[in-house]
Amino acid sequence: MTTYLLRRVGQAIVVIIGVMIVTFALIHLEPGSAARATLGIRANSERIAVFNAANGLNRPLAAQFATFVKQAAEGNFGTSYSMHQPVSTLITQRLPRDAVLLGLSTLVALAIALPMGIYQAVRRGRAQDHAFTVVSFVLYSMPDFFFALLLIAVFSVQFHLLPSQAPQAQSVGGILSDPRGLVLPVVTLSLVSVAGFSRYMRSSAIGTLAQDYILVARAKGLPNRLVLRRHVLRNSLLPVITVLGLQAPAIVTGAVIAESVFNYPGMGLLFYQAATSKDYPVLLGSTLVVGVATVVGSLLADIAYSLLDPRIRYDHS
Amino acid sequence: MSHLLDVDHLTTRIRTSRGVVRAVQDVSFHLEAGETLGLVGESGCGKSMTGLSLMGLLPPGGTLMDGSSVRLDGRELVGLPEREMTRVRGNDIAMVFQDPMTSLDPTKTIGHQVAEPVLLHRGCSRAEAAERAADVLGMVGLPHPRERMSDYPHQLSGGLRQRVLIAMALANEPRVLIADEPTTALDVTIQAQILALLADLRARLGMAMILITHDMGVTAGHADRVNVMYAGRIAESAGTDRLFHGMRHPYTQSLLASVPRLTQDPEVPLATIPGLPPDLTEPASGCRFAARCPYVTDACRAQEPELTGPDEHRYACVHPTDGPRLPGTGPLAALPRTAAKPSENGAPGANATARPLLEARGLVREFPLRGGRVPGVGRRVVHAVSGVSFTLGEGETFGLVGESGCGKTTLGRLLVGLDRPDAGTVTLDGTDLGHLRGRELRCRRRDFQMVFQDPFSSLDPRMRVGAILREPLRIQGIGTTREQKDRVAELLAEVGLPERGADLFPHEFSGGQRQRVGLARALALTPRLIVADEPVSALDVSVRAQVLNLMKRLQASRGLSYVVISHDLAVVRYLADRIGVMYLGRLVEIGSADDIHLRAAHPYTAGLLEAVPVPDPEAERAKHGAAVTGELPSPVAPPSGCGFRTRCPLATRRCAEEQPALRSFGPAHAAACHFPLREPAPEKSAAPTPA
Repeated sequence: MTTYLLRRVGQAIVVIIGVMIVTFALIHLEPGSAARATLGIRANSERIAVFNAANGLNRPLAAQFATFVKQAAEGNFGTSYSMHQPVSTLITQRLPRDAVLLGLSTLVALAIALPMGIYQAVRRGRAQDHAFTVVSFVLYSMPDFFFALLLIAVFSVQFHLLPSQAPQAQSVGGILSDPRGLVLPVVTLSLVSVAGFSRYMRSSAIGTLAQDYILVARAKGLPNRLVLRRHVLRNSLLPVITVLGLQAPAIVTGAVIAESVFNYPGMGLLFYQAATSKDYPVLLGSTLVVGVATVVGSLLADIAYSLLDPRIRYDHS
Repeated sequence: MSHLLDVDHLTTRIRTSRGVVRAVQDVSFHLEAGETLGLVGESGCGKSMTGLSLMGLLPPGGTLMDGSSVRLDGRELVGLPEREMTRVRGNDIAMVFQDPMTSLDPTKTIGHQVAEPVLLHRGCSRAEAAERAADVLGMVGLPHPRERMSDYPHQLSGGLRQRVLIAMALANEPRVLIADEPTTALDVTIQAQILALLADLRARLGMAMILITHDMGVTAGHADRVNVMYAGRIAESAGTDRLFHGMRHPYTQSLLASVPRLTQDPEVPLATIPGLPPDLTEPASGCRFAARCPYVTDACRAQEPELTGPDEHRYACVHPTDGPRLPGTGPLAALPRTAAKPSENGAPGANATARPLLEARGLVREFPLRGGRVPGVGRRVVHAVSGVSFTLGEGETFGLVGESGCGKTTLGRLLVGLDRPDAGTVTLDGTDLGHLRGRELRCRRRDFQMVFQDPFSSLDPRMRVGAILREPLRIQGIGTTREQKDRVAELLAEVGLPERGADLFPHEFSGGQRQRVGLARALALTPRLIVADEPVSALDVSVRAQVLNLMKRLQASRGLSYVVISHDLAVVRYLADRIGVMYLGRLVEIGSADDIHLRAAHPYTAGLLEAVPVPDPEAERAKHGAAVTGELPSPVAPPSGCGFRTRCPLATRRCAEEQPALRSFGPAHAAACHFPLREPAPEKSAAPTPA
């Protein structure tokens, strides 16, 4: 396993360097300059020159890139042009907020989707299966901003049951200490992703249920519920793991729409604002974070795979 | 009147989207402790569904009809609540299934899986259950059971996995064991071991056993009584000896006659049963076998015959026959004998040396293991084919036999240039295939075609049969569209399929018909050589005989050469002029069909022949245990010296030190063994067999 991990980390570094080069190139290829976006359209060429010199934007691209990589290696992603704060500070403030919200939503989505998928597989082709299919497709096709506003209209405005705003605390502990505020955002984000997971789980479980070893388990005298728990669940999880691994970057890219509807500034809004204002340091910094998350996510998925399925051993030793 | 197991009027129906399948119809039988009842028939005859009905494990949509009764020791099981039934399953009645490769949960250790039913039914502690599991695994012959408890299924061979499945079924010492095709997925040598094990355990534990099989040979050797099933009904029921020697139902008679035997005269076509089993969604009234029966009259179609006769021998037939049909007698005697081939006029193999069509010389193929670089050892490789040489004459058939994993399929792929050897050459009609590249090779492919084992996966499900058959012609640019279509019609007629078949999709055909399509596709380019890899192993006995006869007829009419790869020695015996026996990538014996079957020199050949179950109760009972013990060693690290020495009863130290070379045992007959079963021929008259 160690050699495998080392190889994968090596691959990850190559991938991340590639991501940085592409991002860097794309940002600078885009028409319009950072100075214009930051200083406004009235800025004269003198001010622009000063801005460019101060931020090193007048140097050759390769040199700018080298500086960026060197500083990034030291944990320094520069200072935001528009927010005048170090990028690393901005990210460390926002990232945990999204990790809490989206991590929680993914867990809730799985807690609903996995049993639902298995249940549908067992009842395949019957009324219950069709009913759940309809429900999950309705949720899947509903735009999340609409769903969020609908929930707010019903639970906050109409019945005053839950706050319309997500917790405003900065720390993870502070956010978790306001569970009522988390309900609506988590419900919004989890229900829209239930459909994806449950469809995977359903088709995977249908495949598992048709396996000979399920019949063997029944022939041993295992009651249905134990057959599902002991033999169907684990074997059906394998394909879902891959999807989960691909879901990992979503946790750090944030959810722009939910963040703005529930007034919960996170990585999504940060990225959006940086993109519109050509805030190069923030863009590069957050892209790097997403790149790392993607690579780590798929690595975790592969490790989970080998834990769940003894046939997968990465070392062949 | 009360037996251990009483089954009465068992009737199972399954609702499907195509209609209601009458899978099991009015099946009644009984079983005593210590007795083995054979349930024999072709696929779809309801034998497996009978087993599942007894277990209460019907597929979705399946129901037992009113009047069905299954009594275990007088206790009615039909209609028992599911909670009660789970206490019967795996405890009083247990089942062993066909495919050991797919019947174990891949994510759980074998120890866990064997302990699971113990824990479930005995209410003991985990440690006690594990202890019991280790005991049972030892009882079924798993070597070092305690150390292997934590192995996962994929770490075991097919034979060992089947032992694990048997252990799982026997863990609670059930009173009835239902074995559903327990050895069909295994090699003959392993099959013999498993069947011997089952017989031994049945006797030791005093179980009753229901042995479900399509194989008349397995039935002959291991059943006390036999129920022959056809289209969901019992056609005939009798003691094994009486059934094999004095059967009354024409289906039993035809089924037995269509089994290829080792003693078969290859010049006499196999008896076949025309047509296919009926569709069970709408069975016609009257006898279900009427449409395929040689003795059918109007009376048979008028009403369904009842199962009648004394308890020792019951049969459902209006016109019962008497006893087995001898080869060359009965209504099939009129079939033309296949034309004698030139090679059979002279000495066997003489033609091969005169004008070899195909020559394989020193073929080696090794597959590197992924990540197999071990420091100090170098790259680990699978030695799939290790130096195979033989020649094949025009119009001849070369049979290649051996256990799975011996490299016969890899060799077949090398012969048709689908894979390239690491060393050695394949010469077809004077051209070295290794020198052909790109266009030249593709163009030359019209001379050598392949027929595959699985008629379900070797035809593109989204192409019509007409397009499948035209494709080779289109690729090779032969003829106009009109001519290609005419050719397709000819091909269909040649393999005995209706002309309208061209417009149908593969799934609209039965397995046997699909294999005919596969043959027609191979014939489309009028090749000179066809390599057929297990061409009939996926087919039922009666259909198998039809396809084998067709292959012989096509060879005679077109002067084709075949290389037939099969694990079934009787099939190879029927088709082949010369036979090569493969073991761990090497040919250990090569000779004429008679050399191999009557004058085998290599102990492996003899053991392989001995392991083949023959449909004759006396002959089967005369056998003592498994002929070849143990399992095929790993081709990654084959044993030193003679590869077979680890399983050979005659092996000595010399066999481990020195690899035996092929020695001549007569004209074109050679074997690689230090201690052969016959005297080798004197050196000077050595036949020109390539070594």
